[in-house]
This record gives sequence, C-alpha cells and structure tokens, in this order.
Amino acid sequence: MTSYLIKRVLSGLFTIWLTTIAVTLLIHLVPGDPVQIMYAQSQSTTPEQLEQVRHNLGLDRPIYEQYFIYMSRVLRGDFGTTIRGNQPILSLLLVRLPNTLLLAISSLFITMLVGVTAGFIAAYKRGTWLDAGLMTGAIVGISIPSFWLGLVLIYVFSVQLGWFPVSGTNLRNLFLPALTLGLANAASVSRLTRSSMIEVLSQDYIRTARAKGLAEKFVLMRHALRNSLINVVNMLGLQFTYMMGGAIVVENVFAWNGVGRFAIQSILQRDYPTIQGFILIFAIVVVGVSIVLDVLYAWIDPRINYDS
Amino acid sequence: MILELRNSAVKQFRNPSFTIGLIILAILLFVAIFAPIVAPFDPLQMNVGEPLQPPNARFWFGTDDFGRDLFSRIVHGSRLTLMIGLVAVGISMVSGVLIGLTAGYVGGWIETILMRSMDVLFSFTETLIALAAVAVLGASLTNAIIAVGLSSIPFYARITYGAVLVEKNKEYFKAAQALGARSPRLVFRHLLPNILSPIIVVATVGVSIAILSASALSFLGLGAQPPSPEWGAILSAGRDYFKRAPWVTTFPGIAIALTVLGFNLLGDGLREILDPKQRS
Repeated sequence: MTSYLIKRVLSGLFTIWLTTIAVTLLIHLVPGDPVQIMYAQSQSTTPEQLEQVRHNLGLDRPIYEQYFIYMSRVLRGDFGTTIRGNQPILSLLLVRLPNTLLLAISSLFITMLVGVTAGFIAAYKRGTWLDAGLMTGAIVGISIPSFWLGLVLIYVFSVQLGWFPVSGTNLRNLFLPALTLGLANAASVSRLTRSSMIEVLSQDYIRTARAKGLAEKFVLMRHALRNSLINVVNMLGLQFTYMMGGAIVVENVFAWNGVGRFAIQSILQRDYPTIQGFILIFAIVVVGVSIVLDVLYAWIDPRINYDS
Repeated sequence: MILELRNSAVKQFRNPSFTIGLIILAILLFVAIFAPIVAPFDPLQMNVGEPLQPPNARFWFGTDDFGRDLFSRIVHGSRLTLMIGLVAVGISMVSGVLIGLTAGYVGGWIETILMRSMDVLFSFTETLIALAAVAVLGASLTNAIIAVGLSSIPFYARITYGAVLVEKNKEYFKAAQALGARSPRLVFRHLLPNILSPIIVVATVGVSIAILSASALSFLGLGAQPPSPEWGAILSAGRDYFKRAPWVTTFPGIAIALTVLGFNLLGDGLREILDPKQRS
C-alpha cells in the first residue's frame, strides 16, 4: 500500500510539474504581443507602461529564467496580481475555490444517486419497457447541453414557480446548479452502472446465491450491487474531474461565484497571469482529488494488489 | 469495415438507434444544404419583424431582440454546427490516430513520451484544454473549433494506441512482418484498416461531444461572436432577456440537443452493428 501511495503521489507531482511548464509557455504561444493584447481594452497605456509590465512579468528574460522566477514565486504562494486592479491572484482563486468544490461535490452526489439508481433498475428490469425508457432518457440526457438545461431549470423553478432565487452563491442557491451539473453526468453513469450490473448478474456466484434460495433482495443488494459498485467507484475520480470541468460552464449560467466563472472573465479580459493561476490551481485540485479517490478505491477493493 | 457494414445492411435498419439517428441527421443535412431555400428570411437581416415577437404564423420560432427571424437563424446555424462538429473531430481524430499509431507501432521512448503526455492532457478534461487553447488563441469561432479539436486528441490517441497494441500481436500482422513488409505498408495497409471500426464509432459520438463543447464555448462568449447564427451564440445573446422571451433560448437549445442526439444514436447504433459482442 505504501509503495502504491508513493507511486501515485509521484505521478501526480509529475503531472503538476508538467502543468507548470505548460502554464509558463502558455503566454508565449499567444499570437502577437501578449502584453499589448492584455492592455488592448484600456486605451490609456503608454509604450513605456507596457514595457514596465513586460519587465514586471519577466517577459523580457529568457524563457528558462522566466520559468524559474515563476516557480519560485508560485512555491512561495505568490501567483502574481491581476492585470486590472492589481489584486493578488492566489487569494482571489482561493476565496472562490470552496464554492466550486461545493458545487462539484454536490453534483457528484446527485450524479451517483440518480445514475446508479437508474442503471441498477434498468439492469434488473433488463429488456422491459422500464429499461428501454430509462436508457432512452439517458441518451437524451447525454445530448442536452448543460448550459441550456440550467436555463430551463431557472425558467421553471425560479421564474415560474419562484422556488429558488435566480442566481447567487449560497446554500439555498446550490440546488439548481448542482442538479444541472449532476443530471448532465448522471446519464453516462447510469449507462455504465447498467452494463456493469448486467455483467455481474450473469456471474456464477449470483446463480449460486439464487440457487441456494437466498432472498432476491440479498442477492441484489449484497452480491450484485456491491460488486458492480466497484466499477462505479473506480469512475469517481474521472467523474470528479468532469464535474470540475462542467462547473466552469454551469457556474456561468447561475452566476455562481466559483473559480470557473472567474476564469472565464479572465479569459474574456485576456488576463494571462490569472489564467495561468487558474490552470495551476485546477490541475492541483484535480490531481489531488484523483489520488485520494484512487487510494480509497485500492483500499476498498480487496482484489487490487497495490504493491505489484 | 465497409464490408461489415454492407453485410449487415438489413440489420442496420432493424437497429432503432441507428435508424432514428440517421433520420435526424438526414433532416439536419437537408436543412443545412438547402438553408437559403428553407429559411424564409435572411438570418442577419434586422427588423424583418417587431423585436421579441413570440412564435407565430409568420415567424415560426419568433424573433430576437433585433427583430431577426429566429427560425431563419437556426436554419442557417445548422451549417455552422455541422461544420464545427466535423472539422473539430477531423482535427482530433487525425492527430490522435497518428499519435496513437506512432506510439503503438514504434514503441520505446517515443511511446513513453507520447502516451505519458497524452495521459497528462487527459487528466485535465477537455474543457480545461479547450479553455486554455481559446485563452491563447483568442475568442472566435475558428479558434473555438481548433480548441475543441485539440482538446480531444488524447482521447483518440489512447483508443488508437490500445487497438494497435492488440493488433500488433495478432497472427496476420506478425506474418506480414515476417514477410518483410515495410513500415508504411504495415501501418497503413494492415494496422489502420483493422483498428478503424472502433475509431469510427468513437468519432461519431465524438462529433456530438465536439458540438456540445463548441456551443458551450460560444455560450460563454469564447466562440462564435454576434451576429453569427451559431446556436450557442444565439443562446448566449438570448440569456439577457430569457425571462421575457424564453423562445430565443428554447429553440437553439432544442436544435443543439436534437443534433447531438442524432450523432449519439448513430454512434450507439454503429457500435452495436460493428461490435455485436458488446451488445447487451
């Protein structure tokens, strides 16, 4: 277990290290002069000021030097300041990160609840109209754009029924964005659960369990569901990553004050230091959570030999 | 693969997913090709009617805030949507397949570097890669298509790579190798045709993913810009007054969902036809 853990953490660190390189290079891939592009929206900047910014961002140095300067700053927790307003990027991101995590985790919960239940029922009622209905629902669900689903939910529940405020960032407002993001991913989880459950249900030990007269309830819950859940748990890390990606879009629909919404504003303003900070934070969170979930999975599933 | 398809010509149409998907896409293709005839108005012409009219006999889908005919805009948007989906998938499929083939066939340190970097990219989700690409390139429809195309490369590379590893150990391939076939022949005559069917299935579903991603970028203001009749862009503009005029966001949303559904159904159907083992 320890060696598996070390290996997993090392590969995660490697990924983050590559991200830091990519993030440093990002600004150099911009066609044209990034500093001019960043300040294109504010007319009052003189060439001298632009030169000063270039110098402050270290863009007038060789790339490898820029990388070391950037890294030494990042390691000290200094992600630089925003182009407009000169505010510290790291604290702006960290203030919003809990909101995004809250949204992603709540959505993950909804995805699992709806997806696993639907997939389980469809597999058990395989070949019936219920199965067909659920799986038709799933493929339609996969096809609906999340931002549109969000607008529809706002229209129905906030505008027409008045149950929820239209936007804002607090617990009362969490439900609709979490539902939007959760449902968008529940469809694919339900398909996965269904196929994994069907596979498990055809196994010998299920037949044995039934043959020895075990109540169907026990066969399903104790033998079938548990074993098919292993596949689903294995997907949690990937699903979480999807949630983080999906949150970027959904946060914008609901004006949810998370890092995703902040990132889009930064991209629209072409605030490269902030974009760099966002990508780095996003990578650290995604990699960190994946490691935790992978280790958890290895710990839960007795079949995995983590030392091999 | 072509042969498999031909042999199962009858079976295809008994497969409801495939048939329904095909019908949806055939209608879409028809609308896209004949857009100027199907659409009663110019999609960019302002004030063809009063602004924000609800759907009626003259303006089937109503009008937007500039008094443009929403139906005509959506009809013309179908061209953009199809182009976006196909070009983006073209970019990711060609690059991904080349990377996967190279890594799987050549092996060694090239394999390690290529596939490790694909793993790293894969762990960032397509959304983040697409956003980073748009951040670099700037917001426009062309850049959004490139961004979406780039974002899925790791996905195709992995599938191709996996398939190559399997095929490489099969008898026919070893025989061809033993007979002294040279690399290009081995790769393009032997490997590629045999790994093509899973890739085509994935690419069909991939078109739907590409359309969703690109429309999301436009919705966020990072893709197609007004007054383009791109569906995500129409939705984005309609957001500002969607409480007063919900039809402006409803119809492009349905259009996106139907198109994506068409490609998803077609992909699912193709998977079942080409790979009966996976059928459940």
